[in-house]
Amino acid sequence: MDMELEAMLRPPETPMAPYPPKMITLATGAKMIVRQVDRSAVPTLLKAVRPTLDIPRDYYDVVGARLYAELLGWYRHRVRDEFCLVGQVDGYLAGIVNSRLFSTKTCISLHTLSLERGLRIGAHLFAAKMEYPLEYLDIEEVLITAESPIGFRRWMIEYGLEPRDGQHELGGADYFALTKDIYLKNKDRLVAGERPVPPDLLEEAEKEIKIRAADKIREKIEGVKEETQ
Amino acid sequence: MKTVTAFRCKKCGLVMYPGHLRCLKCNNREFEKIEPEGAAKLLTYTVIEQLPWGIDERGRIIGVVEFENGVKAMGVVQAEEVSMGQKLQAAWEPVRYIAGEDVYGFTFYPA
Amino acid sequence: MKAVYAAGVGMTRFGRRDEVSLVDMMADVGLQAIDDAGLGEQPVDMVYVGNMASGLFNHQVSVASALVDRLNLMPAAADRVENGPASGGSAIKNGFLAVASGYADVVLVVGGEKMREVIGPKATDVVACMTHMEAEYVYGVTLPAMAGMFTRLYMEKYGVTREHLSMVAVKNHKNGTLNPYAHIQMEISLFGIYGHPQSHVTNPVVADPIHLYDCCPVSDGAAAVLLVSEEMAKKLDAKPVLVAGVGQATDTHTLQERAEPTDLKAVRIASEKAFDLAGIKPKDIDVAELHDAFTILEIAESEHAGFFKKGEGAKALVEGKTQIGGSLPINPSGGLKARGHPVGATGVAQAVELVWQLRGEAGDRQVKKAKNGFSLNFGGFGNNVVSLVLRRV
Repeated sequence: MDMELEAMLRPPETPMAPYPPKMITLATGAKMIVRQVDRSAVPTLLKAVRPTLDIPRDYYDVVGARLYAELLGWYRHRVRDEFCLVGQVDGYLAGIVNSRLFSTKTCISLHTLSLERGLRIGAHLFAAKMEYPLEYLDIEEVLITAESPIGFRRWMIEYGLEPRDGQHELGGADYFALTKDIYLKNKDRLVAGERPVPPDLLEEAEKEIKIRAADKIREKIEGVKEETQ
Repeated sequence: MKTVTAFRCKKCGLVMYPGHLRCLKCNNREFEKIEPEGAAKLLTYTVIEQLPWGIDERGRIIGVVEFENGVKAMGVVQAEEVSMGQKLQAAWEPVRYIAGEDVYGFTFYPA
Repeated sequence: MKAVYAAGVGMTRFGRRDEVSLVDMMADVGLQAIDDAGLGEQPVDMVYVGNMASGLFNHQVSVASALVDRLNLMPAAADRVENGPASGGSAIKNGFLAVASGYADVVLVVGGEKMREVIGPKATDVVACMTHMEAEYVYGVTLPAMAGMFTRLYMEKYGVTREHLSMVAVKNHKNGTLNPYAHIQMEISLFGIYGHPQSHVTNPVVADPIHLYDCCPVSDGAAAVLLVSEEMAKKLDAKPVLVAGVGQATDTHTLQERAEPTDLKAVRIASEKAFDLAGIKPKDIDVAELHDAFTILEIAESEHAGFFKKGEGAKALVEGKTQIGGSLPINPSGGLKARGHPVGATGVAQAVELVWQLRGEAGDRQVKKAKNGFSLNFGGFGNNVVSLVLRRV
């Protein structure tokens, strides 16, 4: 690799304070560890995202395809200031969220992918990716759009976001802003998490991001396929 | 302030809202038209966080009240603090937007 | 009145069923019930379809006529019966009356609903159309909001707590994992939805004091029961169950005009009528399927139907009486909470569960030696209720 050329193609990196991992108790009583991952996790994450490209239901294919591109781009140093948080239950990947810093004051929320349904994993991880820049990176507002009607209804209205003019970089619907003010007003209602994470659970999560087989991933997202009778 | 038309049975005096063609107590068919009067006592309420289609305001409080003259009605409660038995007064304001038009209904404020 | 038997049943998995149409789901379970009864070439005289809102959810009306065609049941008489979430119960009641009167020998009752063709808030709105347009609907009231207002009164009057409500959800989710047809196949923990200090984030408020896990899911699904006369039951190679009692009662439309808002009068009267006809008392019931669209309703109905004294339903729950191994198992199927609630299907699904329980075919959720079963289908917000008593003969 020509390092001089590579240096020109790589975006500058803004130093980011790390996200302190947290533990969330799900409705089943299971514990989800929410933590930040670095680029080295991407090859594993891509394996989990790949099967979603074949699921049109609930826009999993659009979200999956774009997330795949964002993670791959981040891995290959072609996206500026992206960060990624994952949720793991018993070491297994339950969901991925990503965003990138747009300026010293603004963060752009990219995607949220949940691999387990019915446990509000997406809601919890979305809240975490708001928590990180607004509470730990000195950001003043996060810009958000939505690709699925569920996402729109749940986030735009639950959080009471402010609509903004202009295009979100994902080029879809108009975007909304979650300001630090709105975030803090709603935090108790929407953001869960206990810190520090018990050491054994953190170790399990950090040791390996366990991924299920592609057909299992599809099945978990799409629900039971076979008839009972 | 014109709000809703309630009914008092001409035979047994039962106050009803909404209207019925026959009295709920004695089946009589003649009624005196009345309006809810006086302060409203809050009988029960709920705070709606998950919104129905067509309403975008989170945290809307809906309650059932009893007016001094016996009329019972549902309405939106506009109060910082809400409690059972609270004394409220009725206003008549837009409560919903249906098919491009404001729909009016009861809004209750602390008395 | 002549005796009426449930000779065959059919059921499909409740949940999100994008791959099949409403009529096809209903045709599938209808055929199952016919085959389960061993009907063979005997004609079906009448068909009743319990369905609340196919016009609004699926842009299709006259679904009973469509069903008869799909299954080649012509020239059977066919009607769609609508009673909100008690459409299934009402369809069974109508089928029962047709056989009991001697007018029909074989009646197919199918309950079905496909709610997930529209998005969540729209489905909530369709269901909210049951409320009084001028006095309730315009304020944005939803069924969870009605449940919220009712629950607050019930908590004040009888000391029911949020913990009690959550215990109903935990019990029914557990039962649901034993039912392969249930929509929700997931156990939840009391700690996760209630005990944990941040459980209000995982289990958020829907309409205070009702939380997410106090509400049944929005589901697609269908269920069927084949009702036959005694003569026909003898002819068929089936395990018929007697429909011993049927009751229905109504109450005021608006919540505010109920004589006493915490008194579920229609539940009481409908249940009394069903017990009367069956010639038994609540204490004779071995298994019950109640209408827990909201967890509070399981507790309240268990009292108003006559199983526990007013205000003691929560106590019975805490004492474990309503678990599958308890003295009165309630909702061994998982109830509406876990089995799901495709509104028109529920009343029929409750009857199907009772038939399986009474035949000894309920697998891991079998209530031992069940002889008398009871179901309650709650229409509107308790203003139109249908009760059934079924008996193993």
